[in-house]
Amino acid sequence: MFDTFVPREVHGQPSSRRTDDLKQAYLQAPLMIDIEYLRRLTDSHRRTDGMEVLERRAEDHAFALEGLTPVIHPGERIVGHKTRFLRGAIPYANYAAGPFLREMRQQEQDAQQKHISLGEGGGVAHARTAAALGDFEVFSGKFLISRPELAELADLCEFWEDRCLMAVGDRLWKRDFPDAQSIENGWTVGLYTAPHEPCPEGRIVLDFRTALSRGYLAVIADLEARIADFRPGGPEGPDLHFWRAGVRVLRGALTFAARYAAEARRLAAVESAPVRRAELLQMAEACEHVPAHPPRNFREAVQSFWFTYVLGHLEGAHLGYSPGRLDQTLWPYYRDDPTATPAQAVELAEELFVKMTRIEYVASMSWQGLGHGNLYQNLILGGLTADGHPADNALSQAFLQAQINLQMTQPTLSVWWHPSLSDAFCRKAVECVKTGVGYPAFFNLETYLRHEARTTGLPLETLRENAAMGGCTEPTLEGMSYGVVQAGFVNHGKLLDLTMHDGLDPVTGVRMFEPTHPATYAEVVASFQAKMHHAVRSWQQYWNYVMLAHRQTVPLVFCSVFVRDCVGRGRCMDDGGAVNNRTPTTLSSGLVNVSNSLAAIRKVVFEDGACTLNELRDALSADWQGYESLRKRFVAAPKWGNDDDVADGVFLDLYDDYVTWCAGQRNYLGEPYDPSMLAISTPVPFGKACGAFPDGRRAGQPLADGVTSPFPGTDVHGPTAVIRSSSKVDHTRIRGGLLNLKFHPTAIEGDSGANNLLALIRTYFEGPGFHVQFNVVDSQMLRDAQAHPDRYRDLVVRVAGFSAYWVEMSKALQDQVIWRTEHAQC
Amino acid sequence: MLTGVVFDIQPFAVHDGPGIRTQVFLKGCPLRCAWCCNPESHAAAPELRHHRARCHTCFQCAAACPSHAIEQGADGLPRIDRRACAQCATHACIDACPNDALAMCGTRMTPDEVVAAVLKDAAFYRNSGGGVTFSGGEPLAQPAFLEACLRGCREAGIATAVSTTGYTTPEVLDAIEPLVDLFLFDLKLADTAQHAFWTGVGNEPVFRSLATLASRCPEKLVLRLPLVPGATDAPQNLATLVDRLTELGLGAVQVAPYHGLGADKYADFGRAPPMSPPPPDAPAVRAATVALRRRIDAR
Repeated sequence: MFDTFVPREVHGQPSSRRTDDLKQAYLQAPLMIDIEYLRRLTDSHRRTDGMEVLERRAEDHAFALEGLTPVIHPGERIVGHKTRFLRGAIPYANYAAGPFLREMRQQEQDAQQKHISLGEGGGVAHARTAAALGDFEVFSGKFLISRPELAELADLCEFWEDRCLMAVGDRLWKRDFPDAQSIENGWTVGLYTAPHEPCPEGRIVLDFRTALSRGYLAVIADLEARIADFRPGGPEGPDLHFWRAGVRVLRGALTFAARYAAEARRLAAVESAPVRRAELLQMAEACEHVPAHPPRNFREAVQSFWFTYVLGHLEGAHLGYSPGRLDQTLWPYYRDDPTATPAQAVELAEELFVKMTRIEYVASMSWQGLGHGNLYQNLILGGLTADGHPADNALSQAFLQAQINLQMTQPTLSVWWHPSLSDAFCRKAVECVKTGVGYPAFFNLETYLRHEARTTGLPLETLRENAAMGGCTEPTLEGMSYGVVQAGFVNHGKLLDLTMHDGLDPVTGVRMFEPTHPATYAEVVASFQAKMHHAVRSWQQYWNYVMLAHRQTVPLVFCSVFVRDCVGRGRCMDDGGAVNNRTPTTLSSGLVNVSNSLAAIRKVVFEDGACTLNELRDALSADWQGYESLRKRFVAAPKWGNDDDVADGVFLDLYDDYVTWCAGQRNYLGEPYDPSMLAISTPVPFGKACGAFPDGRRAGQPLADGVTSPFPGTDVHGPTAVIRSSSKVDHTRIRGGLLNLKFHPTAIEGDSGANNLLALIRTYFEGPGFHVQFNVVDSQMLRDAQAHPDRYRDLVVRVAGFSAYWVEMSKALQDQVIWRTEHAQC
Repeated sequence: MLTGVVFDIQPFAVHDGPGIRTQVFLKGCPLRCAWCCNPESHAAAPELRHHRARCHTCFQCAAACPSHAIEQGADGLPRIDRRACAQCATHACIDACPNDALAMCGTRMTPDEVVAAVLKDAAFYRNSGGGVTFSGGEPLAQPAFLEACLRGCREAGIATAVSTTGYTTPEVLDAIEPLVDLFLFDLKLADTAQHAFWTGVGNEPVFRSLATLASRCPEKLVLRLPLVPGATDAPQNLATLVDRLTELGLGAVQVAPYHGLGADKYADFGRAPPMSPPPPDAPAVRAATVALRRRIDAR
């Protein structure tokens, strides 16, 4: 009712001085490149030439782990980190050396890069300030690296230039893949996200429950028993090398933990404060016990989880690598520990959240720009137990409380929603939404269970127990799924461009497809679908080559040991060791613009006869300049997100075609691709690459945000109509879904506001929808934050499948968030 | 066929009645409150709105108007001669505008159409304890239409609320009351001369309606007071209002501070806002709320 500045209703504070200090230290820390892991890995690799691939990979990784400097930062109670720095990234040149070399040679020529801008504030600003003082160089736009290490990094990258995953992959597909040219052209015109420079892996949750409950020594004993029992017996049998590699990498992991134990003892010896000294000794005892043995109490369980989590994270250039159902993993240890308290759980959760946020990612500028520093580490709460009871517990609420208190960008906090979850838990989740941090996102468990039951045929109990989230909005079965996946996106907006201009890209002039001269509405749709089929299949096949190269260069050994049933089958994930080998392929943003455009063409061109297709093409080429009254007719045509059956029908037909097509394609392991929905921040760079559209969108504007979210300004009937439209999508056919809603704080304030938000979620999921997430801000606040970034250092907003610090987002992305329809009551 | 004039249907209304609601705004009001922020609700008939903020002064509307009712005003913007405007069905000026600055405000709808629009969100009402709220204007000013809409919603199992000034006849109230679950009842001024000065009409019908509802169904009443500096916020007015309410056995009053955000809209309809005082600040709202509560508690 009152459109004035309304602060967020809930704004928490860290629960202790310790976690406040940890958060502040994080906020002040520059982003650093740490080459220590790469140096050790490379040292080993120079010596291991000739070893079998899996064993060599294990040896290199284990050797690196055994030499990493254990750093324990002030106030920490849980130890172990990927780098020596508060905010650090490892340059995984063994995955892709090219981008780093290009950066160093000042010749970043990535076709995507011109469409990407990086943030300016926060830790990015700290990095630039420090660089100005000397001794350090700015690397990849926002990181710092010391001058000597930069020179060393250049050497290391040159070593990997021809050996890395990317180089090996390029030698495979560039030579023999018939569609290679169309992939390269696709990059030129912005049809695809960048090449496989970053990684094809992540989107995986390890089997933390087994890692904790058995302990590494028991797993090593199991592997050694299998090695002893092994007898060669043909190519279909278990792979002895994998088991041997597993033993090697676990031994390296135990050394990694032991070095932290020793460091804690060393610090305790020189610590003057008795309280901290006692803490350090306790930490040393924990690190001497886990992860080798099962934890003896809750705190050791958290430490054991964290070791396994970091060790898995260290192995590769992961994006979407996730902690999964941590409230379930840790619950038995909390429940059975008489000394564990809710306050302790909240404080440890806060510390974990700071630790997850500290993990940074360095890759090509285009991938960094897409992620805005977020690694999509998804922690999902609630859901059901194997036997179908609501699974939320005291830890579920502690994790929510920690996010309310801290408001960190990581982990990506999610809720597996089910009508049986406790009221207290649901209300705590809404309280967290009200902080405006954008978390948790809500996912409909029943919808996913139906999808997996249909595609995998696994027992319902198994699905309930292991349903988790790997990455921002993609569900996965934790501890039992192949985590090396097709990681790229297809720009459906660009396919529309190419349809409207009959195969010629209007922005670059590159011809992607032969002209087909569509003359009827059905022919226009068919033309689009043919292009989509070709683009998606080529892209999937390209990634299959990448996965083949992954097997040859960087197969995951440590991660495979903790993915069922790799050990049992004696095969790593790259060889099909996981129980579930279907991999997601993503439908990203743009389909809403395509369907709005096609609906408008049907109405204005073929029903009203207001112009011809050629005249429309001229108007699009002119970016609608001089065609304002014609544009108005296209804008007025029915649009997705208003519960209009005509507009929604076009979207549903396209969706159906997409899902059917994807599921008919095969991944590297020969399993069907599983269609999914995911957008991260692709709407901005993809939109920048596109010309004007028949839905009235002008050239360069971002595409519709998310996958089923309406195009900004076209949803004129409020959030309930958006939800009704989105409910028409059969989400059981697809792995994932994405709907963003943004609310003014007054729209959901108080108890009644909480009730209404929960009613909104419940109604959507009865629909049955799959995913919904909320931004609770007002646009005045965001404009103020643009003008005064220094006052909004800790402002976190939901971008798509993730949240980012406002000040670290690019201006274009900030503008898009402001621009999204604000469902406020005024 | 029975129709009414509706100027807006707002889904996901969460501030007028419990739960998630759809708010249906009926056009036309017998009152002209000086602080009204909805000038589009005044006239009963559909009328042309010129969104001045969206206007790029291209005057394509003037060229398209068959009645030549649009010309450049002293402020450089199009000025619509409201008497010459034929409110024509072709909407030539609306179609001509490239910036969506012209629009008809108010649509004729049948009760069935209104009920169908309301029913779309039935699942949201069920899960939130919400329903439909008829607002205005003054919804009771279209009694037959309102009654048919309410009946249709009721038959579909939708909870109903009416946001009203109470300015109506006993016959209308008798017909409507059984179909309504909740009355959001606006009170303004206790003194009828003051009421006439600020709203254009005396308050006898208002208090007659209030007395009827208070005796028949006090549980259906939610009382609201727009807090307008210099008008309704006078201590004498607040005191007398509380006296009147006490006589009727009524208690709590919600205070809705005047916000002045509708003032700019008047020009879009070729009218000047009758008043635009500064909105009350937060302490003033708190003070008035406390004063009301004290008086009510003291009884």
